[in-house]
Amino acid sequence: MATRDLTDTPRPIAAAVPKPPRGLGHILTVSVLPRIILIAAAALFITPFYWMIVSALKSNQELTKFPPSLVPGAWVWQNFVDAVNYIPFGLYAFNSFVITVGITIGAVLSNTLVAYGFSRIRWPGRNAMFYICVATLFLPYPVILVALFDIFGKLPSFGLQGAHSWVDTFLPLIVPAFFGNPFYIFLMRQFMLGIPRELSDAARVDGASEIQTFWKVILPLTKPAIVVVAIFAAVAAWNEFLLPLLYLQDSSKYPLAVGLAFYTSQHDVAYNLLMAAATLVVLPVVVVFLLAQRFFVEGITVGGVKG
Amino acid sequence: MAVAPAAIKPKRLARFRPGAIERRNLRWGLIFISPWLFGFIALGIFPILYTFYLSLTRYSGIKAPTFIGIQNYQRMAADPLFLKAAYNTLYYTLLAVPVGVVVAMVLALAMNRKIREVAVYRAIYYLPSILPVFAISFIFVVLLNPGYGLINWVLSAVGLPSPNWLGDPAYTKLALVMIAQLGAGQFALVFLAGLRGIPVDLYESADIDGAGTWQKFRSITLPMMTPIILYDLIIGLSFGLQVFTSAYIITGGGRTAAGADNSLLTYVFYLYKQAFQFGQMGYAAALSVVMFVVSLILAAAVFRWANSWVFYGGEEA
Amino acid sequence: MSPGPRWFRWSVPIFTLVLVVAACGPAATSPAGSAAPPASTAPSAGASESAAAGGSAEPSAVTGATCASGATEVKFWTSHTPPDSDALTNIVNAFNTANADICVKMTIVPGAETDVAKLLTSIRGGVAPDVYMADRFTVPQRAAEGVLAELPADVAGMSNDYLPFAWAETQYQKKTYALPFDTDARALWYNKDLIQAAGEDPAALDISKGPPTIDAVTKMADKISKKDSSGNYDVMGWMPAGPGAGGNPGAFDQGWHYTWGFVNGGNFADLTTCKVTPTDPGVVAGYQFMYDWAKAHDPQKVARWVTTNLPPNPPAAQNPLWTGKLAMSISGDWRIAEAAKYAPTGHYGFTFIPVPKAGDKGATWAGGWSMALIPNSKAQDQAIKFMKYIAGPDGQKVYTKESTHLPTLNALLSDASLFDPLHKQFLDLLPTAKNRPPLPVGAAYWDALTSAQGSVELNTKQPKAALQEVQDAVQPQLDAVGC
Repeated sequence: MATRDLTDTPRPIAAAVPKPPRGLGHILTVSVLPRIILIAAAALFITPFYWMIVSALKSNQELTKFPPSLVPGAWVWQNFVDAVNYIPFGLYAFNSFVITVGITIGAVLSNTLVAYGFSRIRWPGRNAMFYICVATLFLPYPVILVALFDIFGKLPSFGLQGAHSWVDTFLPLIVPAFFGNPFYIFLMRQFMLGIPRELSDAARVDGASEIQTFWKVILPLTKPAIVVVAIFAAVAAWNEFLLPLLYLQDSSKYPLAVGLAFYTSQHDVAYNLLMAAATLVVLPVVVVFLLAQRFFVEGITVGGVKG
Repeated sequence: MAVAPAAIKPKRLARFRPGAIERRNLRWGLIFISPWLFGFIALGIFPILYTFYLSLTRYSGIKAPTFIGIQNYQRMAADPLFLKAAYNTLYYTLLAVPVGVVVAMVLALAMNRKIREVAVYRAIYYLPSILPVFAISFIFVVLLNPGYGLINWVLSAVGLPSPNWLGDPAYTKLALVMIAQLGAGQFALVFLAGLRGIPVDLYESADIDGAGTWQKFRSITLPMMTPIILYDLIIGLSFGLQVFTSAYIITGGGRTAAGADNSLLTYVFYLYKQAFQFGQMGYAAALSVVMFVVSLILAAAVFRWANSWVFYGGEEA
Repeated sequence: MSPGPRWFRWSVPIFTLVLVVAACGPAATSPAGSAAPPASTAPSAGASESAAAGGSAEPSAVTGATCASGATEVKFWTSHTPPDSDALTNIVNAFNTANADICVKMTIVPGAETDVAKLLTSIRGGVAPDVYMADRFTVPQRAAEGVLAELPADVAGMSNDYLPFAWAETQYQKKTYALPFDTDARALWYNKDLIQAAGEDPAALDISKGPPTIDAVTKMADKISKKDSSGNYDVMGWMPAGPGAGGNPGAFDQGWHYTWGFVNGGNFADLTTCKVTPTDPGVVAGYQFMYDWAKAHDPQKVARWVTTNLPPNPPAAQNPLWTGKLAMSISGDWRIAEAAKYAPTGHYGFTFIPVPKAGDKGATWAGGWSMALIPNSKAQDQAIKFMKYIAGPDGQKVYTKESTHLPTLNALLSDASLFDPLHKQFLDLLPTAKNRPPLPVGAAYWDALTSAQGSVELNTKQPKAALQEVQDAVQPQLDAVGC
């Protein structure tokens, strides 16, 4: 295997091909064909949500009718009222929020530090260590599920959340986020490797300590990657199902994911009510995303176009 | 494994004494990675060793473990559900991962065109990936109902067969793959960020040289994207081996069993059932050990393979 | 490569906003952060008429809201859901009223009969319940695992009060680990209206005529079955076996492996030699029937009908037997209460489970639940007092009447006031009932048999081969634990 310097900036690749004339074909490939793909894909991606909302508004009889009606015959708004009345939505959402914030903070703190150590400092054994780190990326977390459950079940929680061990508290969900995650380390290291080495060297020549270099030089340039990690970590935390399912027993501690799944099996909920509940779970996220996505997308575009 | 020797250093740092530099760098390097290092030992190596130990015991999680040697492994050899679960998981992963890479790539390429309303598409693609898999799985239970579901209605309307998605073992895993694709928007965004990160001057000089769209894709876009494709493959494989939530929801929480003919019994689902539903922690630990070994082999294989095509932007590999 | 800083400046506050709004918006509707569930909406006592949605919106305990503040708390878990859990709620409330110093808090923790996940988690977290309602045939296995506590001598001395088979299921290594609660019996339910509409006479199935033959029932059912234009079943004549809800392996209703194994005279275990015997000829014959019936009716079409009409975790009201999509089903006594509730205008009857040959004696099997004590209970005395109440005459009377299950107390079997005529007929089935072998691997055995049933009813495995796999998988586990 050839040794490569991963910090090199990419070299231009010039393909010597004669330039074709721009005409109808060009418009097709640049504008029409992508639009067809985009619109078709958008329809596919939107269908489940449309169907969720439509099903939420149907009566139980209409839901099981064939062929399915694309628009509810009678709009049963009562389904939403029923769903809210039967589901402790606020409590579950609050639990989700606490878990998500904890995990996000842990992920941002730990992964930035670790990625810096793996990318901006050259130390003997670094690459070997990084290969180990990446190898753990391939280790599906469930491999250690049984052992971790047993270990966390032996750690004292000192009565936190009314439990005697870490089991049935948020700790097994949040604390591991503070020890880095190979996904995010990998991602952020890739990003940090792209920052020219000369910047660090210059800082060192100026007498900056490693911490100052990290804080003043690299961190500001890494912010886009930090946001990506924060988003990924938060989304993963919000959606996590297996771990709260395992570790949380008391349903007053459930986050939305497990709470709603269990609620339905616990309370004989018809599928239209379930769809109404799912709509309500998804709705705040959708609304905020739609409000904020202009900035979000603009950010990516600006970053990309500036190159 | 060939690792870049740390001794290869740019000449400009020669005015520092190499030994001192190395020690200093080693110290700081370890300090920075210490959170991971601690986690790796306490939440990685130790649990794995502990799993090895538990796999040699009978343990319900309540009473103290009883050492039983390799009985759990012998039991595995005679356990048809173990083989079924392994088969289901590999089948799913080998199907879902390539499909996922292609879908994300196509979406990203399409979004990367100068299309005015692209923000709308981005929002639509991204949104499903930030929504919980369990909710999407519930929606698909309704969508895929063989009798009154939307998908079969559309299929039959255009004259295609309308399979029993959730009850026919030949189709249940396809349903899981479909559910997984709703998360493609997130990968598409990563791909898009990668596309946007390709220096514009590369394309400009290719334009000057008269390269067509396809040539530019082949010789600029694709090579520059290979690290991200590798990243997607890695995540996809790891996710694929872990697939659980959608199977759990579709089968109603495994309250009876895991899908028609156990076709949705994924490996993690089986592990979960053994450890937590049946209180067979020792056997589940043995299942974990097998998963650990297989994962290691897969990891080595993918990285070896990736060496032949990933382009890191430096010298060609 | 210098990505735009504007993105970052905007996204962090926005991202924070996303989280805050997403979580706080809805959270404002409840006392944010308080672990106590909103004890608002449905008053749990006597609210069973509001039942379809489950008696309560509380995520935790469904009883105990009216307890005195000084009362000793006893946590009680059940996996039962409405309507059965409504009857339990009423019993618990009556106990709390009669015992002001004890406050039983009942929590519904859903899961299959053989699922111990939440219990395990709670024990490890030190938040276990005191009393746990366990499917009785799993008691020996749970006892072997250390999940259940041995009961004191005065409770163990109550053996003569209960039906012998029910009591036997609570024993492990000659110690008592639970008090029997209810039992049940299975029968062939039929919808008279659908049978008549197909031009058949429902009187042929009258219980006074004794057990019908499998052939006769299959023939009648095939006349009732209707297919739609694309050849898929719309109405099913009967569902003798599976698949179960959502197309999962197992019984559609109560057409379990045990049902058809017992009907064919099968023995599932030899307790004296501590062996499981899934390849016993009678058991194989039961599986062969499920295989043949599925083959004759196209396994894929049957599965499609099930997944269409019975999604995973279906509400009881949606049972095709009540919605007119199914004419006959192997089911149990508890459907009496459901029929009254979900199909008040329908006409239903039941008879013996069909038998292979005319003149064969009818066979059914009885299951049922039990009340078990969890180790290290801090309120053990109060917990046992509650167990004696709910598994005693007070509890069983209410449960028998409201849930239409059967009691396990000998004294109640002759209490005519508890049974209306329909219910009485199930009581009369009880003497012929068999029960699952009380094995310390009972739950694992059940699950293996269920898996095998799933393969057989889809015709993906031959009965003998599938059952041999069960033997190979379960016997080593039994050898490891011992009987």
